[in-house]
Amino acid sequence: MLRFFLGFLLLQALLFGLELTPWVQQWFVIPWTDTLAAISAGLVKVFDPTVIAEGNVLQSAHNGFAVAIEAGCNGVEATIVLVAAMLAFPAPWKRKLVGLAIGILAVQGLNVVRVISLFYLGQWNFDLFEFAHQYVWQALIMLDVLVVWLLWVRTLPRAAPAPA
Amino acid sequence: MPARATSLGRFVLRVAAWLPLAFLVWYLTGPILAWPIGLLMAAILKLGFADLVARVQQEGHLFTIVSTLKPALATTRELASGVVSVEVNFLLYSFGLPLLAALILAAREAYPLRKLALGYVVLAPLVCWGLIAEFLKRVVFDTAPAVAAQTGFGPLQREVIAFAYQFGSLILPTVAPAVFWILTHRAFVERFTRGDGGAVKRTR
Repeated sequence: MLRFFLGFLLLQALLFGLELTPWVQQWFVIPWTDTLAAISAGLVKVFDPTVIAEGNVLQSAHNGFAVAIEAGCNGVEATIVLVAAMLAFPAPWKRKLVGLAIGILAVQGLNVVRVISLFYLGQWNFDLFEFAHQYVWQALIMLDVLVVWLLWVRTLPRAAPAPA
Repeated sequence: MPARATSLGRFVLRVAAWLPLAFLVWYLTGPILAWPIGLLMAAILKLGFADLVARVQQEGHLFTIVSTLKPALATTRELASGVVSVEVNFLLYSFGLPLLAALILAAREAYPLRKLALGYVVLAPLVCWGLIAEFLKRVVFDTAPAVAAQTGFGPLQREVIAFAYQFGSLILPTVAPAVFWILTHRAFVERFTRGDGGAVKRTR
C-alpha cells in the first residue's frame, strides 16, 4: 500500500509538472481544451442549434452567454490522477492500458456532461452556476475517478499483488 | 455485527445521496470550519513569511491577508502610504470536505464521526497550502511590478510559487480527500476490489 501511494504521489506530481510546461500546454492541453469545447458544442447543437464554439469558448448565439473552458475544467487534471493511480498500482501492463483507455473515456465523458450542464445552468442561474462550477462538479469528477479506479482494480486477476 | 452485502453501484448511490446534505452543511458552517484553518494559516504565515504579512482577518468564509507591501501608484513610481491586502476564499480549497463526508457516511463503517474529525485535521494543512499559495501567487504575479519586486522572490522561487498554487488549487482539494478515504477504509476498499459483492462486516 505504501509503495502504491508513494508511486501515485510521485507520478502525479511528475505528470502535473509536465502538464504545466509550455510545450505540453501548446501541443496537448490547449488543443484538447478546444476539442472539448467543439465536442460539447457538437452535442448541444443536436437539440440547440444556436450554440457556437470558438477556441475554448462555448457560446449561445441566442442570449450571448458564454463559458470558457479553462485549466481545471478540461478534465486533464482528473485524467492525470487516474493515470497516476493506474500506473502506480501493481497490475499487468495490458490491463493498465485497457483500463487507461476506458477510464480516460469515462472521465472525459462525464466532463463533457459537466461542461454542457454548466453552460445551461449559467444561463438559468449564475449563483448556482458558480457553486456547481467551483465546488460540486469538482467533487463529482473526483468521485468519478475514484469509482473508475475501484472498478478497474476489481477486474484485475487475483494473482496480482493486493495493496496490503 | 452481521455481514452486509453492498455493491459498488449502491455505494455510489449512497455517496450521491449524502453529497447534497454534506455540501449544504459545509457551506452553512463554512465560517466555523474556516476559523481554525485561519489560525493555522496565520501561524504559518507568521513563521514563514513574517516580513510579508502583517495580519490575517476572517469574515465569513473569506480571509483577508494584509501584507506589508506598499501599493504602487498608477501615475507615479512612488509608493503609496497604504498596504496591499489579498482576499482568499476558504471554500475554494475545502470543497473536498463534503466529498470526504459523503464517502465516509456512505461506507457505513465504524466510527464515522471520528474519521470525519480526523479528515478535517489532516486536510486542514492542505487547505492552508492552497490559501497561502494563492496569496503568494497574487502578490507575485497579479500586482504591479513595483509591488511584486518588494517580495524579493527570485525566478526559481516564483516558479515554485506558481507550481504550488496550481497544485494546491487543481490537485490537492480533490485528491487529498480521496486518498485519505482510501487509507482509512482499506478493508472496505479491498472487499470491493476482490469482487465478492463488497460484503461488509462491521466490527467495533
